[in-house]
Amino acid sequence: MPSEPLIQLRDVHLAFADNPVLRGIDLDVHKGQAVSIIGPSGSGKSTILRCLTGLLRPQLGSIRIGQTQVDQLRGEAELIALRKQVGFVFQQYNLFPHLSVLENLLIAPTKVLGRNRNEAREQALALLDKVRLGHKAAAFPGELSGGQQQRVAIARALAMRPELILFDEVTSALDPEMVGEVLAVIRELTEEGMTCVLVTHEMRFAEEISDQVYFTEHGRIVEHGSAAQIFGDPVHERTRTFLQHALGQGGQRPSRPAPDVYRNLGRYSLSV
Amino acid sequence: MSELLHVLVGQLARLGLNYSFLLESHASGKLLDGALTTLWLCLWSIVGSLLVGVLLAAAVTSARRWLQWPARAFIEVTRNTPTLVQLYCAFLVLNMLINQSLGNANPMTPFAWVVLVISLHKGAFHAEALRAGIEAVPAVTLEAASSLAFSRRQQLFQVQLPLAVRFALPALVNNLIDLVKMTAVASAIAVNDITYASIMIWTQGDNVIELMILILAFYGLLSFAVNCAGRAVEARLRMPGYGN
Ligand SMILES: Nc1ncnc2c1ncn2[C@@H]1O[C@H](COP(=O)(O)OP(=O)(O)OP(=O)(O)O)[C@@H](O)[C@H]1O
Ligand SMILES: [Mg+2]
Repeated sequence: MPSEPLIQLRDVHLAFADNPVLRGIDLDVHKGQAVSIIGPSGSGKSTILRCLTGLLRPQLGSIRIGQTQVDQLRGEAELIALRKQVGFVFQQYNLFPHLSVLENLLIAPTKVLGRNRNEAREQALALLDKVRLGHKAAAFPGELSGGQQQRVAIARALAMRPELILFDEVTSALDPEMVGEVLAVIRELTEEGMTCVLVTHEMRFAEEISDQVYFTEHGRIVEHGSAAQIFGDPVHERTRTFLQHALGQGGQRPSRPAPDVYRNLGRYSLSV
Repeated sequence: MSELLHVLVGQLARLGLNYSFLLESHASGKLLDGALTTLWLCLWSIVGSLLVGVLLAAAVTSARRWLQWPARAFIEVTRNTPTLVQLYCAFLVLNMLINQSLGNANPMTPFAWVVLVISLHKGAFHAEALRAGIEAVPAVTLEAASSLAFSRRQQLFQVQLPLAVRFALPALVNNLIDLVKMTAVASAIAVNDITYASIMIWTQGDNVIELMILILAFYGLLSFAVNCAGRAVEARLRMPGYGN
């Protein structure tokens, strides 16, 4: 592994009032890696991501992204500098409903980064093509399907040319048919070497694209390791039972898995 | 033009309505003056009330207690007392006090008092509409803006206010239509608006019904114009597909 991780969390603690949500999180992400965080609902996954982009501040512990000590940031200007580097994609897309798709992609680069509008426009159109929505530039978010809105949201984050992108359950609000189109875009990004941290319930997808997988429960990292290790040979009983539930009956693949699963079986030598 | 008026007055006379006063220069001049005054009252109070509304809404939704509290109190008092009484209070009490201390230097004309009172009164209603709009902006949308490195100010001006205004617009237009009709209170302190002018004319003649029909039609048309303008703005600011 290359030396310094791009993201480093050490012993991060956070509580809402007297409800401890993070209880000592350690997490490393190297540049160019795709790291997935999986775990039961309420285990603090979203909270970790929100700490990374400075929307929440931990009470204890250290968070470093690149050269920035995130937990020490003071004042709006410093937070803004961080957020220029870190893209965030939400479960509920959260596009600006009063702006066209193109304007959604233009507003931050032009108003926040002060980029030239024509250049920003060219880049925005290229990004829309990349997420296969070039023909929707003039549409409004309300006129798009959930999957299309989520792809716009990804393009909007990319338009800031961030160092890394955080994805918080970006397919959870989508119909099954739309999940694939969004995952395809994320897969492409990881293949291009974008650093990605994903919170996801799509276990199959996490297994396929992740370099590292973290399993969280009750605000702690229960275990982490390569995708092959976590999905193929989890150490902890808790991880095992969680994956059994998440992946279907008895930890086994559905009786007739898709062809790509057979490929994965070979790759990760899963016992079926 | 005057040909047309003659024909019209003739036709109306057949219906038993005596509009011959429109042909006299004195009465028609007075009415025209009144109509213009009402138009100006509307324009100034629309602008004034919107200004007051924005300021009050900003104060009420502000995190600062010392801003929030007086604004809230002002809105409650203003909303819960009749405009006519407020106007009397302002004109008979405040104006007199100013007169006593400044004498002829008092800059407030009756016209200005009407604009001020209506602006404050309707401003309180606008503020409530705007507050509802501001509170209807989803917190997650603002979070999205802040994760895109928007400053607080940019969030406010690029996202929160544009959305709040869109949500508040139907209620604001409603308030403005009400405002148009409210300007008739000006007649109570002898501002020569169209209502006052009509009263002056009918006390000297026997044409109450004719004047009533005329001013009702006038207010109706004005309200309709405000309504149309509101609809046009709504159409312009429409968010296609939003809420589906
Ligand atoms: N703003 C908040 N105020 C108070 N408690 C909160 C807040 N946000 C989250 N929590 C609590 O923190 C805990 C962890 O929440 P979090 O959203 O991080 O979970 P999660 O792992 O993302 O779950 P899910 O898979 O359901 O999204 C939950 O118990 C939640 O109730
Ligand atoms: Mg979550």
